[in-house]
Amino acid sequence: MNLALSDEQAMVRDMVRRFLADRYDATTMAKGPMPLDEWRALGELGLFALLMPEQAGGLGGGAAEVMIVSEEMGRALAISPLAESILLCGRAIVGSPAAERWGERLLQGDALLALARGGECADGKLRGSAAIVRDGMDADAIVVETAAGGLFLVDAMDSAVRRTPVRLVDGSMAAQVQFDAAEAVALTLPATQWDEAQALAGLSIVAELVGAMATLLDLTVDYVGQRRQFGKPIASFQVVQHRCARMYTWLEQSRSMLLKAALVEEEERVRTVTAAKAYVGDAALKLAEEAVQLHGGMGVTDELAVGRGLRRVLLLSRLHGGGSAAREALAA
Amino acid sequence: MDLALTDQQCAFRDDVRAFLASSLSAGLRRGAALTSGVFAEPDIAREWQAILEAKGWLVYHWPTEAGGPGWTPIQRWIFEKECADAGAPVLPGMGLKLVGPVLYTFGTQTQKDQYLPHLRTGEHIWAQGFSEPGSGSDLASLRTRAVRDGDHYVVSGHKIWTTQAQYANRLFALVRTDTEVKPQQGISFLLIDMALPGVTVKPILSASGDHELNEVFLDEVRVPVSERVGEEGQGWSIAKFLLENERGGSSFAPLLLADLERLRASGGPLTGELAHRAIRLQLEAEALEMTELRTAMEIEQGAAPDPRSLITKLLASEIRQGIEALAVDAFGLAGLQLPVQRPFYGEDVPTPVESAQAQIAAARYLNARAWSIFGGTSEIQLTLIAKAALGL
Repeated sequence: MNLALSDEQAMVRDMVRRFLADRYDATTMAKGPMPLDEWRALGELGLFALLMPEQAGGLGGGAAEVMIVSEEMGRALAISPLAESILLCGRAIVGSPAAERWGERLLQGDALLALARGGECADGKLRGSAAIVRDGMDADAIVVETAAGGLFLVDAMDSAVRRTPVRLVDGSMAAQVQFDAAEAVALTLPATQWDEAQALAGLSIVAELVGAMATLLDLTVDYVGQRRQFGKPIASFQVVQHRCARMYTWLEQSRSMLLKAALVEEEERVRTVTAAKAYVGDAALKLAEEAVQLHGGMGVTDELAVGRGLRRVLLLSRLHGGGSAAREALAA
Repeated sequence: MDLALTDQQCAFRDDVRAFLASSLSAGLRRGAALTSGVFAEPDIAREWQAILEAKGWLVYHWPTEAGGPGWTPIQRWIFEKECADAGAPVLPGMGLKLVGPVLYTFGTQTQKDQYLPHLRTGEHIWAQGFSEPGSGSDLASLRTRAVRDGDHYVVSGHKIWTTQAQYANRLFALVRTDTEVKPQQGISFLLIDMALPGVTVKPILSASGDHELNEVFLDEVRVPVSERVGEEGQGWSIAKFLLENERGGSSFAPLLLADLERLRASGGPLTGELAHRAIRLQLEAEALEMTELRTAMEIEQGAAPDPRSLITKLLASEIRQGIEALAVDAFGLAGLQLPVQRPFYGEDVPTPVESAQAQIAAARYLNARAWSIFGGTSEIQLTLIAKAALGL
């Protein structure tokens, strides 16, 4: 048992942290999706290659690396397509002809893939619709998981793909997508590989939530130390101290679930990621709500990072079924 | 980074497992399973303590110099996890976990020689004399007086919530030796023979009907000065050391997880809302297990434990209370039985309706309410966390 980062891991963490700290602070974080040039810059730094399997031209970074990178993204409340485009879709195309077309560009941050769930495919034609496809408007291609469980790749520029923009709660853009017999290439990756990809994406989201929780708690502790009422800082009131202490327990317990999910043996990954989603999704939203509460009236405005943080946490904690679905899965 | 046990640790775990499989009798397991209070009853505790002592594992958390087996924090965790999974009795902690470490850390050689061996054999059974009727969370306000008279202190006062004092023959107590200085500075730590004239124990029955708690009256008890641990006035810092051991000395999560598993096994398949409560408790306990392991790993690597270790008692209390409340609900009306006979594994206990686990559920639920009160209330814990972890 060992929780220490290796030198390489510490380097990656510091690199991502510095990159984001140079670009985001409390006044700018979570104001909108990460601009494409920043995304590309992260690709050029080799971050996406780090997280991709070797057979896809990556360095084969595993769950620990996904955790480290994603937690930093969460800490800066950065809104990016990391979980879907890189971890889910990037892995979905491994081993298929599509990898040649998109793989390298994906690693460079030049291309974006989105994940859609819905529709059905017959004779190489995809029909049906997907309600909310994150980053679907910017995507170059769409990985579609059909209702029957098949995986296909569709070119987003295909005239048989109609996209309508939908603004999501964190300010990011999704698409409502209609497939009218769009050309679909079957992706034939083994089911276990897809399960692994989904687990890694889930882990990434959990890590982002933990990073966001740390930031929201920091902001709150700072604020209650500065905000004065009744002639003294509100941090001197026990009720405020206890609420902050409670937030801290949620953060540390969430970090524990994250560490466990990232560091267990492969065969336990799916269950521990599900457990982490079930726990952290709830804890993060509670923490974000408390952060807003302790910021008083300012907390509910668009002005402060906590209000925007709440929006981001609401979205992350509900993706791919969120905590409720995870608890259902565990209870079954 | 990894969570895998080393080959050595796996071998150690297998040793512990094999030992438990051969040494933990069905009777001991049943006694442990049908214990309604926090600690095992004396008959069960005595038998299990002797078995552990014979194996050399009784004081597994003590350092080698004090007679411990020299285990690392991870080994201790493995041992506790295996004991919890196997359903071993929970030994009273007042001697082994509380006064033992105080004695080997602050005691004179004479005190170590005189007390540590008897503690291990079980000849000395210790009770903790800290709280008083007017001094609970505000412990430093305690009023039990110890007045110097030659080679003795004359001790008078009133201790309360003294767990298992009815079985104890030794009391470690905080007493006021100086009323002129700041409250914290006037406190000393005394070892008191409960057979001395002037010591009276009066039972307090819990709402469950269990007799775990007592009042201890001290009426001009003459305690030799040589029975003071540390200097006069050092009692408060010794008490802080002891309370830190009480809060963070061992892991809570293994027993919580094991008890939840046993509830699932004995309560029938939990469905609907009950299943969801079980899942939430399970997740919280699973997280707590990792939180505790993180601290164990820090200590193993020689680092000072992060203030995060302060959250464990608070959370363990809540999970414990959640599990016992779930048990009452899982057994339905049969979870509302409350016979007066004790212990629950005794011969005179009426035949349980549904199951023995159902019969004990209400008592355990009621006793578990004390978790968020003893050893520093949850409110005190939150204040400590805010201060130590967040600087508030």
